[in-house]
Amino acid sequence: MDEKFDCIVIGGGVAGLAAAMTLAKNNMKFLLIERGEFAGSKNVSGGVLWGSDLSKLVPNYWEEEDGGWERFINHRRLTFMDEQSTFSLDFKSSHFNKPPYSGVVILRSKFDNWLSGKVQEAIDASDFAMDSFIATNIKVDDVLMENGKAVGIKTGEDEFHADSVIIAEGVNNLLTRRVGLQDEYVPADHMLTGIKEIIRFDQKVLEDRFQLNGLSGMSNEFVGWATDGVEGGGFLYTNRDTISLGLVLGIKDMREKNKSPHDVLNHFKTHPVIADCIKGGEIVEYSAHVVSSGDKRAMPKELYKDGVLLVGEAANLLMNAGKAIQGMDYAMRSGILAAETIIKAKEKNDFTSETLKEYRAALDDSYVMKDINSFQDAVHLLHTDTMQQKVPNLICDFGREFFTIKSEATPKSRQILKGAIKRHSSVWELAKLGFKAGKSL
Amino acid sequence: MSTILTHIAIADGKIKRSSLEVLSHCKNLADQNGHSVEAVVVAENASNYVDGIKKYGASKIYVVENPIFKNHINTPILKALVKVMEMAKPEVFAFASTESTKDILGALAANQGAAVLSDVASFELIDGGIKGTRPVMAAKVLANAEAKGEKVLVSVRSGSYDLAESPTDAEVVSVDFNMDENELKATLREIISSTGDAVDLNEAEAIVAAGRGVKDEEGRKLISELADVLKAGIGASRALTESGVYDPSLQIGQTGKVVSPQLYIAVGISGAIQHVAGMANSKVIVAINKDADAPIFEVADYGIVGDLYKILPPFIEELKKIKN
Amino acid sequence: MKFYVCIKMVPDVNAPIQIKEGKLIQDADRMILNAYDASAVEEALVLSEKHGGEVEVVCIGPQKASETIRKALAMGADKATHLLTTGQEKYDSGTYARILANFFNNKEYDVLSLGKQSQDTDAGLTGSMIAELLHLPYATNAVGLEIEGEKLIVKRQGDFGQEMIELPTPCVVTCSNDMNEPRIPNLKGIMASKRKPLEQVELSSLGMNENQLIADTAVLSYSAKPERQAGQKFDGEADEIARQVAQLLDTEANVL
Ligand SMILES: Cc1cc2nc3c(=O)[nH]c(=O)nc-3n(C[C@H](O)[C@H](O)[C@H](O)COP(=O)(O)OP(=O)(O)OC[C@H]3O[C@@H](n4cnc5c(N)ncnc54)[C@H](O)[C@@H]3O)c2cc1C
Ligand SMILES: Cc1cc2nc3c(=O)[nH]c(=O)nc-3n(C[C@H](O)[C@H](O)[C@H](O)COP(=O)(O)OP(=O)(O)OC[C@H]3O[C@@H](n4cnc5c(N)ncnc54)[C@H](O)[C@@H]3O)c2cc1C
Ligand SMILES: Nc1ncnc2c1ncn2[C@@H]1O[C@H](COP(=O)(O)O)[C@@H](O)[C@H]1O
Repeated sequence: MDEKFDCIVIGGGVAGLAAAMTLAKNNMKFLLIERGEFAGSKNVSGGVLWGSDLSKLVPNYWEEEDGGWERFINHRRLTFMDEQSTFSLDFKSSHFNKPPYSGVVILRSKFDNWLSGKVQEAIDASDFAMDSFIATNIKVDDVLMENGKAVGIKTGEDEFHADSVIIAEGVNNLLTRRVGLQDEYVPADHMLTGIKEIIRFDQKVLEDRFQLNGLSGMSNEFVGWATDGVEGGGFLYTNRDTISLGLVLGIKDMREKNKSPHDVLNHFKTHPVIADCIKGGEIVEYSAHVVSSGDKRAMPKELYKDGVLLVGEAANLLMNAGKAIQGMDYAMRSGILAAETIIKAKEKNDFTSETLKEYRAALDDSYVMKDINSFQDAVHLLHTDTMQQKVPNLICDFGREFFTIKSEATPKSRQILKGAIKRHSSVWELAKLGFKAGKSL
Repeated sequence: MSTILTHIAIADGKIKRSSLEVLSHCKNLADQNGHSVEAVVVAENASNYVDGIKKYGASKIYVVENPIFKNHINTPILKALVKVMEMAKPEVFAFASTESTKDILGALAANQGAAVLSDVASFELIDGGIKGTRPVMAAKVLANAEAKGEKVLVSVRSGSYDLAESPTDAEVVSVDFNMDENELKATLREIISSTGDAVDLNEAEAIVAAGRGVKDEEGRKLISELADVLKAGIGASRALTESGVYDPSLQIGQTGKVVSPQLYIAVGISGAIQHVAGMANSKVIVAINKDADAPIFEVADYGIVGDLYKILPPFIEELKKIKN
Repeated sequence: MKFYVCIKMVPDVNAPIQIKEGKLIQDADRMILNAYDASAVEEALVLSEKHGGEVEVVCIGPQKASETIRKALAMGADKATHLLTTGQEKYDSGTYARILANFFNNKEYDVLSLGKQSQDTDAGLTGSMIAELLHLPYATNAVGLEIEGEKLIVKRQGDFGQEMIELPTPCVVTCSNDMNEPRIPNLKGIMASKRKPLEQVELSSLGMNENQLIADTAVLSYSAKPERQAGQKFDGEADEIARQVAQLLDTEANVL
């Protein structure tokens, strides 16, 4: 039995599922293959799915009893940290309360499982109810190539053929390398480790502690002391009755300072402010996973090739410019665009790069590449020592002075700031920084 | 006044302790509720055990004696128990949860139209039946269940109750039993007896359990030595029973036996929930594992992080010293 | 031989669970094919591959259980019957056994194969119940099966080692997962499963009377197990910590 598919999607993560959903809705005959026991089972990451593409794939998903998502974001916080203090930019607005939400917190094992159920529904409703498949617990070993063109996949002894292959295998992009779109060697300084703990509370306690209302939720990013001198940042997201607390850490930097992600996370948790947040919680899950830095230099040479398209983190589509990690929404959009390109290719019956390059064009034209391009400097800036250490310290120092009332004549804020700057940096350095930041953000 | 009937299981010539635990508990319940507690023993020479049973307060003992019971075959045992139930008309019929019990409990319930709770960790009488606690979800949680009906069957995990003697001179009823060959639906061909004089793990005071970490002959030798010093029974994780290294009857856990010794030493066992399900009720748990993060340490009172091949020799030596 | 394998959809015990007001709550609704049933399916497949025959699976469960059934079909079972429930019913082993016995009543078969117990409840009753209801010979806790002519030879794990039992067919057997390593469906199997016959049957069509469907046991609530606290951990020089713990077993735990 070797019926040919229009497309084989490798990987049932956000990118793969978004592609599959788009294919199913457009009556394509496809096969989605996921290595895990079920979609999401291998997936430790999770956090905020930004943007509103989800409502394109599953209209009115928010109306569902249990729509696979945890909470919608209406409260955002960027926190600078030194040893004792935190100084936050805090924004909360009822403006975010109405669907389609601009960000929902998700837990991947649950979300992916739910979304693949939705894809199955779409398959059942399509003309290929009997001929399109979601196959789990199957690992794709290789992409079949015939004179430079992808013609299918190989798993174990079996080969399956298709006009096109969408590689949505995520950050450990082995197959991407096999088809020659990524160099075998990717320098470690373009790679980060994400670690995360899921901490459970009584739901009432959680909602009171973080001032949540109904299904509203908060996302909090951290810069500074959080990472114990390692480049990176921290995050805290509120789920239904748990929080996701974690860090994203530079692998190279960690090696050089020989620190382990686990130690740094424990360090983070000892901060008085964090300690207050997690008091009384029970750790129910710990996980670690590589995540790309969003540095363009780590991107594959190209995102397409005869018969192949790269989507999601396999294509290194991710951005972490401090105010949020955006990987899942990029994965989703790229999956959609790739599938749309395949649909065009099917119409023209041409699956060569001639047609497939339109995917690249569409992506460049989308907010994904636009943002990745325009915020590269911000990405680099975030990873400078000044931004990682001096600025947070300086800001917290200023905050401490500014908010302390010592029954003494209070200095003008300008003096306080001057002092803080002297102690942690120099006006010159900051001027440069401010200038850079102004440009990059 | 109604009757609680207790099944007395026999294992190589001895009354199984677990069924005396059940009898002790039932006696207790009967006294509290003004019921009578009776016992039934079905065995090759069942009458040998009457005195042993009397110690635990049964007011009446049904004895079903027949050569056919030499080995466990479900058809005759069922026939015998059905007959006794019709004589005793028990409201509650309690068993120790052995493999033999598991083999017939459902059939007996179906035959008698009785409600049944299997493998409870405890049970009480309520009007119209019993309520009991059952470990479920691989013993991650307890289900508080009840069974209601004119007749209720229940099987109890070994180690759930303490022995409590209360001698009585019970009336002994010998039940005549005969069964001709063609009634035998199933025939027993042979018994591939397990490791000879192995300790009954359900009754062992101490158990040394080996896991995949025990890789070779040398490892198994260490396990045996340790077991000898402690006069312990040897158990094993599935990893070693399915690979045939240890006899399948030694498997401890969800598929295997549920044990609750005073001392349980897990050697080279990771502590998967299905294994822990079988040993978590041990009084003192020692775990030896080279992986400091192995889940077994979450249930161990004494966790030794290290290579079993390096740990066991001095451990055994030290225990020898202490022992004499 | 014609095998019927009874398969059950059960919650994955490895998925995180918690108890809220006595109710059992699972973080993600992860339902799987009962591991013991997977072994039963595997063994039936092996035997029918060897001696010829047919393997049909039967499952009582809600709509979602069709995924579980597909899994068995993907493994290689020839066809399936899905006895539909709403998922709201409070059935126990007894009710399932009565339903299944009812279903098998007018069927032709040689072997009814079940799992020795449900992974979630560990009840271990349904198999021998069905045998009694259908007046069939049976064996439980099988760790090996063989076919000799019209007979099924069962190796079962008993209290005193393994027993070799000879059953005339038709008969009932319940399987341990120690029997085999169930195959993981490959892609071809998964694809083929979609085209295999899966018949959905309404329970009502079995014409059972109401009180046959009333369970005489019920779970009133769930509660956490008395938590076992992790004790001391000894990490260091092997000889030292080994002797130290040995001493503590004597002096502190006094279990020697
Ligand atoms: C700790 C952490 C926190 C994060 N927080 C956020 C956040 O808050 N917001 C955000 O937008 N992003 C976040 N990210 C990034 C985000 O998780 C990724 O960008 C996103 O998951 C990429 O989606 P994907 O579908 O491309 O890849 P993945 O989600 O990794 O999916 C790839 C899938 O392919 C499967 N697969 C791989 N190889 C094979 C094979 N050979 N055969 C079959 N299947 C295969 C895998 O099993 C996996 O299911 C975070 C990442 C981490 C590690
Ligand atoms: C339905 C079902 C029922 C099951 N029932 C049972 C059951 O009844 N009983 C059971 O045991 N399992 C059962 N299992 C299997 C169970 O899930 C585990 O697979 C099994 O318990 C693993 O056995 P193990 O710990 O010996 O092997 P592993 O999980 O491989 O662990 C080996 C351990 O040994 C350690 N180790 C290795 N070398 C050394 C050394 N030199 N020194 C010290 N430590 C070392 C390793 O760190 C590791 O932790 C069941 C599974 C299912 C699905
Ligand atoms: N709902 C069901 N549908 C099909 N078979 C079932 C069902 N419930 C139980 N069984 C069978 O009975 C075995 C377990 O019995 P028990 O442990 O009493 O639940 C399972 O392994 C199945 O083979």
